[in-house]
Amino acid sequence: MSKVAITKVIALIKKELDSSFSSPIAYMVLIASLSLFNILFFMIIDQNKEVSLRDIFQVMEFMFVFIIPLLTMKLFAEEKSNGTMEFLLTAPLTPSMIVLGKYLSMLIFYSLLIASTGVYYFIVEYYGNPDVLSILSGYVGIWLEGAFFIAIGLLTSSWTKNQIIAAMASYFILFLLYFSITFTKYFTGFTENFLIQLSTRTHLENFALGIITPSDIVYYVAGILLCLVLTKLSINHKLWQ
Amino acid sequence: MSILTVEQISKSFGACQAVNHVSFDINHGDIVGFLGKNGAGKTTLMRIVTSFLTASAGRVFIDGDDITKHSLTIRKKIGYLPETPPLYTNMTVFQYLKFAAEIKEVSSKRLNLQIAKVLEECNLTHVKQKIITTLSKGYKQRVGIAQAIVHEPKLLILDEPTSGLDPMQIQQVLALINDQREQRTVLLSTHTLTEIEKIAQRILIIKSGQLIVNKPLKTLLNDNVEKGIINTNNKSITEALNPPPLPLSLEQVFINAHQAQLPAQNSRAEV
Repeated sequence: MSKVAITKVIALIKKELDSSFSSPIAYMVLIASLSLFNILFFMIIDQNKEVSLRDIFQVMEFMFVFIIPLLTMKLFAEEKSNGTMEFLLTAPLTPSMIVLGKYLSMLIFYSLLIASTGVYYFIVEYYGNPDVLSILSGYVGIWLEGAFFIAIGLLTSSWTKNQIIAAMASYFILFLLYFSITFTKYFTGFTENFLIQLSTRTHLENFALGIITPSDIVYYVAGILLCLVLTKLSINHKLWQ
Repeated sequence: MSILTVEQISKSFGACQAVNHVSFDINHGDIVGFLGKNGAGKTTLMRIVTSFLTASAGRVFIDGDDITKHSLTIRKKIGYLPETPPLYTNMTVFQYLKFAAEIKEVSSKRLNLQIAKVLEECNLTHVKQKIITTLSKGYKQRVGIAQAIVHEPKLLILDEPTSGLDPMQIQQVLALINDQREQRTVLLSTHTLTEIEKIAQRILIIKSGQLIVNKPLKTLLNDNVEKGIINTNNKSITEALNPPPLPLSLEQVFINAHQAQLPAQNSRAEV
């Protein structure tokens, strides 16, 4: 990517972050999410009496299924409803730059949210000797999972100018991915295996246990890339004319 | 040499033929009025020229380059104001113009200077720190024009820039467009001939997707006055063709705008 292209993507990222932090919604989501995570963290620690963050990662995953669509629903839907999509698409920007700018801005916001929970490590360390590597791999897993969820939210936001419809479409896809593992009891063989591999819970569980496997990384990275490419095709309106 | 060449452009949406074999040229430095009723195909054609839409057939050249082959390079040469100004209303005027300048490749060295120049040109300096949502419609339209010219494009395309404005705001926006004459070519669309007859040199009229008139304004008025299509309301053609200079003071703006409204009822050219 050329220097000019990077400058444009940075301008888009700054614009998105300014837009997020100029409204109370971003702060409300940050505060509400962190408050909820803190309460659940202390409840889990109190109940399990173990110096591990494995369970909190799984709770965070479940919470992000609900939180992330609320953050991503406006990314393209708002531009379309305000008429600013025409401004972006007639400026010297490629669809890839627009997608990347929006995606990275939301990823930065999400990374801030995740980074704020880093204090949990120091709390569990105070009470014992936690497995640092499993906590690190858990953070890698939850970060990758969030990055995947954001890519899905970005894609659904590009389909419509209605933010509610964009959020609903995200929820549908995320529920499908999250709960697919619960349907395995009705199937056997290939379908059962497919549903296990489709579920985000299968892949995050490995990370939370401190196991990083190439198949789990490929699952998230491929999912992210697929969604970003589909988003690019979706906003490249010429295909839909 | 022409800055914009449109060759046999057609565009259909399903069974609807929005633009049908339209061809024309626009020369450097011209202000061209693009007239037509709602749904005549003005916006579709403008969107094709800005490469927002792809034509079903035909070609568009800007400054000699085919827009389908060099769309990114060409977009640097175009300033575009859609019918609804594309504004991020939670930003200040300065933040918005800075963002527009950055994505339109204004170099960081020139950025602040260029924004200051455009703010001055559009008479927005005193509101540069205001949040866009708090501005009046006339100011918002000027912010829209400011973003369109912030990168110094060769061709400025304005889709109904006076739509929804009061007479005073219309005069201000037209004066701003008239000031662009020295620096760039302007293609602006509107419903009414009376609005642009003060500033346009050439008129294009589109009806049901077909270009029915492509003439210099003087020729058009002479032809149509003779045919009785345009009623000059007892003004001489010379007077009609040489209106007084655009007003400067608010009082003059008001008086001129008021006067302009009265004959407009009769001299409006239906297309």
